[in-house]
Amino acid sequence: MIYLDNNATTRVAPEVFDAMHPFLSDVFGNPSSAHTLGREMKRAIDDSREQVATLIGASDTSEIVFTSCGSESDNWAIRGVLGTRPEKKHIVTTLVEHEAVRNLCRLLENDGYEVTWLGVDHNGELDLDELRAALRPDTALVSTMLANNETGVLFPIQEIGRIVHENSEAAFHVDGVQAVGKIPINLENVDLFALSGHKLHAPQGIGALYVRKGISLSPMIIGGGQEQGRRAGTSAVPNIVGLGAACRLAREDDDHAHIERLRNRLEDEILKQTPNARLNGAADRSKRLPNTSNISFEYVDGQNILMHLDQAGICVSTGSACHSTTHESSPTLRAMNVPYTAAQGSIRFSLGRYNTEAEIETTLSVLPEIVAKLAAMSPYDKELAALK
Amino acid sequence: MQLRILPCNPWLNFWPQITRMMSTDHFFNPRNVGDADEPRFAGRSASLACGAHVRFSIQVDEAHAISQARFRAAGCSDLVAAASLLTEQVVGLTTAAAATIEQEQADVDPQCARLAREALLDAIRDFSNAARDDWAGDEALICTCFFVSERTIEREIQARGLTTVAEVTSACNAGGGCGSCHQLIQEILATNDLPR
Repeated sequence: MIYLDNNATTRVAPEVFDAMHPFLSDVFGNPSSAHTLGREMKRAIDDSREQVATLIGASDTSEIVFTSCGSESDNWAIRGVLGTRPEKKHIVTTLVEHEAVRNLCRLLENDGYEVTWLGVDHNGELDLDELRAALRPDTALVSTMLANNETGVLFPIQEIGRIVHENSEAAFHVDGVQAVGKIPINLENVDLFALSGHKLHAPQGIGALYVRKGISLSPMIIGGGQEQGRRAGTSAVPNIVGLGAACRLAREDDDHAHIERLRNRLEDEILKQTPNARLNGAADRSKRLPNTSNISFEYVDGQNILMHLDQAGICVSTGSACHSTTHESSPTLRAMNVPYTAAQGSIRFSLGRYNTEAEIETTLSVLPEIVAKLAAMSPYDKELAALK
Repeated sequence: MQLRILPCNPWLNFWPQITRMMSTDHFFNPRNVGDADEPRFAGRSASLACGAHVRFSIQVDEAHAISQARFRAAGCSDLVAAASLLTEQVVGLTTAAAATIEQEQADVDPQCARLAREALLDAIRDFSNAARDDWAGDEALICTCFFVSERTIEREIQARGLTTVAEVTSACNAGGGCGSCHQLIQEILATNDLPR
């Protein structure tokens, strides 16, 4: 099985599994307990908090709160900020956010909030002047992602944060889920920052939220005094330990160059070999995650390519989600003005630390044949002939 | 799954798996891909909702039976399977039978099956319109699926006092196939709508 879907989730690293294992067997206890077992658990959590803080560059471990997932972190950051600023009813976000932010903001629109949706250009990049113009005295929050989950396009969060703080009193939340573990993180000018464990080889079911000192956040879960009273619920110690180990691994390994080399090879070859392939997102690779390539195969269907690759043992994602209830192409690609016939044929390749050169070569040997077969079946035969 | 057979047949327990296997096979190994040989009649259908697009082309023999059916599709795996299955099902059928085919046994999304059938229907209408124009008989041919002439339709309208296309269809079959003559039947109804 060749796994090229690391933006969806990643396998648990053996190092992470080893770190977690004792906490799923003989080492147990409630970290809130005062006895030896409880204190041991608390120490393990503190160690992990330290690892997370170090990886993303938080100045103090108290700024890190553990949650159950990235979506919880995003939801809490947004609702938490709004909860402490009830008089401010304006939010600024972008059209290309993950559903955790996008759908929540859509919901808030129904609850009396006004949302300014910033668009992107064909490269997937923001117009910072548009952002500056959107800020108002009653803007409570600006929320943008750091790295786009579909295209890997990076937003300049330091610059955005500077503009937000210079021109308004709004808090700045960053959805960093897709970036952590893949690129170095800089929290300058950032007030809140969400991350998720399973994107960096920790298990699913663990996330964290960075809350800059001085930012007040109303709690989402009320209960015992866990996480400094900010997020109640008995700590998921094994998962927290896993996230800590994953953060250490991400910091200490130097695999990023290896992943980027493989991604570049894959991307270059596909664009060269396939006449109907076009890259979605900035051609300048420094403006994208080093592991992601979103490529449209024009006039063929992405889900078809996915199924054929799956049969060949290769796992990828498509931007043209077609479920039995909803049939629509990716909002991100639509915001980028990708033509309909190309958005339908988009495939996301997202690499990870366990991919090998041989796997990339296998993919490159299988993919052109699949695309050619589907192109031969396409009703857009005249358009495809014109490309050649 | 519309199929209902006696529950004592042990194969029935596996029927959903069998139909799934069939449609999976038709997706990975689609039959009759491309364009039918000339002279061919072609139809298209597309969905704005999901972006899928199908093209169906058929060859029709002198007895108005489909002798060849081919398709092209840019759409999900269910659509490809549905179109492929349909090409196999319609060969040998008259255009009238093909126009009203119910695709029951395919375990595919009903929306995709419908889209494939619409493209087929569009191709049959393409044939019907051409056959009507080419018709060299004494009486003008209106319904090419069931070979019903203008005079027959007029006779039925006058004899029975028909006022709608549906009534004409149930009286003499005209308009019961591909539906390409509905507009013409409407016009005949209008000219025969005399005060009684």
